[in-house]
Amino acid sequence: MTSYKIIFPLAIVALMSTQPAARAQQASTGVPDITGSWERARDASIPAQPQPPLKPQYMKEYQAKLQALREGNQKGQPIADHVVMCLPDGMPGMMSGPFPMEILQSKGQVTIIQEAYTQVRRILLDREQKPIDDVEPGFYGRSVGHWEGSTLLVDTLGIKENVLYQNVPHSKDMRIKERISLGANGILRDEVTVEDPAVLEKPWMFTFGYRRMQDYQLLEYICEDNREYADDKGVQQIRIPGRD
Amino acid sequence: MTLKKCILCLSFIALAIPGTLLGHHSFAVYDHSRTLNLKGKVTMWKWSNPHAYLDIDVQDGADVKHYTLEGTSINMLQRLGWRSNMIKAGDEVKVVFAPLLNGEPAGLLLEITLPSGETKELPVPAANTFKRTPE
Repeated sequence: MTSYKIIFPLAIVALMSTQPAARAQQASTGVPDITGSWERARDASIPAQPQPPLKPQYMKEYQAKLQALREGNQKGQPIADHVVMCLPDGMPGMMSGPFPMEILQSKGQVTIIQEAYTQVRRILLDREQKPIDDVEPGFYGRSVGHWEGSTLLVDTLGIKENVLYQNVPHSKDMRIKERISLGANGILRDEVTVEDPAVLEKPWMFTFGYRRMQDYQLLEYICEDNREYADDKGVQQIRIPGRD
Repeated sequence: MTLKKCILCLSFIALAIPGTLLGHHSFAVYDHSRTLNLKGKVTMWKWSNPHAYLDIDVQDGADVKHYTLEGTSINMLQRLGWRSNMIKAGDEVKVVFAPLLNGEPAGLLLEITLPSGETKELPVPAANTFKRTPE
């Protein structure tokens, strides 16, 4: 049989490339294999994102900011935001795409790399979360998680107050809970619940959906030549070489 | 999923997500009501993020006018088949771009015709909101 000659080397390659111990463990515990490249996907199973249930005073500020952004764009004088400074999105914005992301499952950790700005978050598995006052504020905070059957439950604390997702304000005590699971339709779901009693009337819940990108390797992304800047009025401008 | 399909679903996402999320920033600094269609010589093709840049010299009577044209993220370009060596200094190209509203000699590159005659559109988010001026 010639097929043996073909299948045997293929099987060896398959065993070498799929980390059999990890796969066997996944199979026995129900942990799905979500390692690989993913992109945001529209799918009927993913609900539309609702408005953030902000308390009235914060809702007023938020609406005013959105209005100012709209007016700035209409006047051709856009208000500079974090991307003009080439600052990364942080959490939970980095999970929103639209660039691809890579998930890596390793012992004790799930790592998520967002291609834009080469953002990295580490979800520490089976570790206790620290009290909020023991977590220094940052862009990605401290994420701990554990598998409950086939769902990865993640808890994140310590996001800087200036790190905003879609301009929605939050306090230093914001907590982000996620339920990450792989549906039978192949769509990876990240059900996000933002808890922030100081700012929100109730938890803000929304879901990101992702589709697997076969054979896609993430590209590097370095803000090497950023010609955008905010002027003294906070308006986005373009620096033209030779005219500085 | 094939790369082609992946590009297709990225474009669906493009329709679903507000423009400011898609690009590096808002493109509101550029004139959405007209384009300039110019021929010029490339002085630099900058393959970098957050956006690629194309610098060209355009003959303007006896003078040479220099333009800086902003592209999109090189990651988006690369996913659509663009390569860093596709354009080089000295190339004679034809460009379509939305000029800066403030009158500076700069713009948002929407389309380029390479010396080979091949015309390529850039994956500018909401590209259809830029009204094209006929040549």
